[in-house]
Amino acid sequence: MLDAEPSIYSLIVLVLLSVAQAVSLVSKGRLATPASLPVLWGLFLALAVSEWISFIAALWILAIISFCALREYLSLVDIRLEDRWGILFSYFSIPFMFYLIQIDWYGFFIVAIPVYAFLLMPVCVALGGRSRGIVFSVGALDFGLFFYVSCMGHLCYLAFFSERIAMLMIATVAAADLIHRALRNRPRALRVPLQVVVACVLFTGLAEWSAIPLNHSFALGIIIPLLVCLGRFTLKQIEDDLGIRADRLQPGRGRTIDALKSYLFIAPIVFHYLRWFLKWGAL
Amino acid sequence: MGRPLINTLRIALHLLIIRPLLRLLFGVNVVGRENLDGVDRFIMAANHNSHLDIFLLLSALPPGKTAKTHPVAARDYFEKPAWLFGIVQFLLRPIWVDRNNSGLAAIKEMQRRLDDGCSIIIFPEGTRGQAGELQDFRGGVGLIARQNPDIPVVPVYLEGPERAFPKDAAFPLPLWNHITIGPPQLIRGKSREITSALYRHLKTLADEEQAYRQRRQPEPHRPFVAAVIGIDGSGKSTLSRRVIGCFKGESCFVGDGLELFTNGEPHDAQPLTINEVRKWMGRQAKSAKNLARYKMRKLAELLLRDRLLSEVERWYRPDHIFMDGSPLLNMTAWAMLFHEEFFNAEVCSKALDILSGKDDRLKKDPIFEQFPELKALRKLNLNHLHLPDAVIFLDVDPEVSMQRIASRGEAVQAHENTEKLTKLRAAYHLVCDVLEQSRPVCRLSGDKSLEQLTQEAAAFIKKVGSGVDETD
Repeated sequence: MLDAEPSIYSLIVLVLLSVAQAVSLVSKGRLATPASLPVLWGLFLALAVSEWISFIAALWILAIISFCALREYLSLVDIRLEDRWGILFSYFSIPFMFYLIQIDWYGFFIVAIPVYAFLLMPVCVALGGRSRGIVFSVGALDFGLFFYVSCMGHLCYLAFFSERIAMLMIATVAAADLIHRALRNRPRALRVPLQVVVACVLFTGLAEWSAIPLNHSFALGIIIPLLVCLGRFTLKQIEDDLGIRADRLQPGRGRTIDALKSYLFIAPIVFHYLRWFLKWGAL
Repeated sequence: MGRPLINTLRIALHLLIIRPLLRLLFGVNVVGRENLDGVDRFIMAANHNSHLDIFLLLSALPPGKTAKTHPVAARDYFEKPAWLFGIVQFLLRPIWVDRNNSGLAAIKEMQRRLDDGCSIIIFPEGTRGQAGELQDFRGGVGLIARQNPDIPVVPVYLEGPERAFPKDAAFPLPLWNHITIGPPQLIRGKSREITSALYRHLKTLADEEQAYRQRRQPEPHRPFVAAVIGIDGSGKSTLSRRVIGCFKGESCFVGDGLELFTNGEPHDAQPLTINEVRKWMGRQAKSAKNLARYKMRKLAELLLRDRLLSEVERWYRPDHIFMDGSPLLNMTAWAMLFHEEFFNAEVCSKALDILSGKDDRLKKDPIFEQFPELKALRKLNLNHLHLPDAVIFLDVDPEVSMQRIASRGEAVQAHENTEKLTKLRAAYHLVCDVLEQSRPVCRLSGDKSLEQLTQEAAAFIKKVGSGVDETD
């Protein structure tokens, strides 16, 4: 919406990621690639499609990623037999949310999950007819809806405003993750400043390309790595409880949601930062 | 002549429609696919929780084997309506088992298919079981494996279909399914041994899969504990057993022995080690020559009995527990025999509070000087005894109970004489007086007939028990 013309960067990154993905498929796991590669590839595919082909197609690719993440989360969480209507409702909220983005109805999009879904979903769960354990069920489904549908929707809306800033955000988070992985055994006092420096360089260096004023680029470069750190700390504990372990990240056992966690934690914050300070919503 | 065409159609349907649909909608993760490499024919044994199971198993096979693998299915389940039977017959070409008749025909059919070079899929549980629980295996898989010692049996554990499409669900939900293919087994021996070996293999796979699952706290289960107290020979245990007969659900009687009842009918239970220890201690107490020796042994027995109550709650999870005496109340009443001079209502109330761990404020109280046992128990942190939810006091004249004890023909215990029992009876009355302020207590006079007593006691428990359920 804000970008004048499609940028070549998205294609370059997509090609690089596709090559890595192809190598990992052809080598059948002998060449170890990060477990988060498919998700990163999916996100960049959506952004490249959005820039070069159509935003609507990209939107539904992101909806599919959202569905995969929610499905994986619901497969891991301990649900009762009686929650099935609630789960069905949660799945149906995905196309609804993404349709709201497609027609650019921001007012409804922003309240759809926290107001309507959070009120209607418990009704569906209560239809199951057993009160014992319903609080935990509603809580678990609420988190799933919020994180894997609402936050994913924010990511999509961010791409709707500007694919470039979405791409920049994803690249920054990926870089922060990479630094975290590479320097896992080093103290945090070394890791976090390095992540901040890399993010600031990325954002300020590309400020002209992303069309964000220099001071806000700088601020985002500081905020994003710190929040990635916070998000990882929070989601790590949730993943522990869900039984997701870094050494067995199989499909359906946390590979998707583990890869998505940092992007989803950041997306609403960056989105609302830009809406508030750059007045994007008024456009 | 239409055979090859139908076959091609079937394979195309499986590979081009069912397989992608399962992967896209539900998500299929196959672990251990390499275990099937180089295996020509096999007998696949999997757990069975859902209608999705068979399609998931077929989708995990190498494409070439899809059409040459046949499941074993129950004819009576799929027979009606006819269109369902037709679809199942076309898609899967199962080996039909008639569950109402002998399975020999099915075994013969399985053998025929194996001889044709086909593989079979069998669900040894026989039917779709409870979600996530492995049921006992039927014998058929052992029979067919014994007849074909050179065909490997492949144990497969399916996790996920019990959530994606459980037994009683109206619709399937998109949730991940994990198929763990275990290493092929060549098991030799009797068919029963093969079946149990296979069960162990599948159980191992199941335990590995379940180990990291998220689990909620189990639902709290608190049984209703009723204690029947009274002096020796008052017929407490007889009354308890009769009262249990009036109750539905799982009941447990904790007396000299440990007895389990379902809907009033006795049944066997896994023995508890602590109960054996307690019984031994009880025998030691009974054979004690004098009161001083009796005291320590009885005390140990009572503490073990209280511990046993926790174990019973934990392992048997009954709805009602009936106790012949209550460790807490017995201990309090027994204080009367040893320190008669200090025993009154106030002391009794304090003792109950201390022993049930209610009152920690009583640090320096004269009661600890009067009853050093209390001090010792508290020091040892043994002062958290169970206070029963309801108490029935069976009040019997000591003369009558002495006659009953004599008629048992057992050795008379140290305290079993009219004088001591009279004191004990008074002590129980006092305990009941104190208890009545906080718990429902029912005093029954022992000179009534057993029928009448049972009715009154059962009515009392039902009244009190329903009140407890409501407040919970």
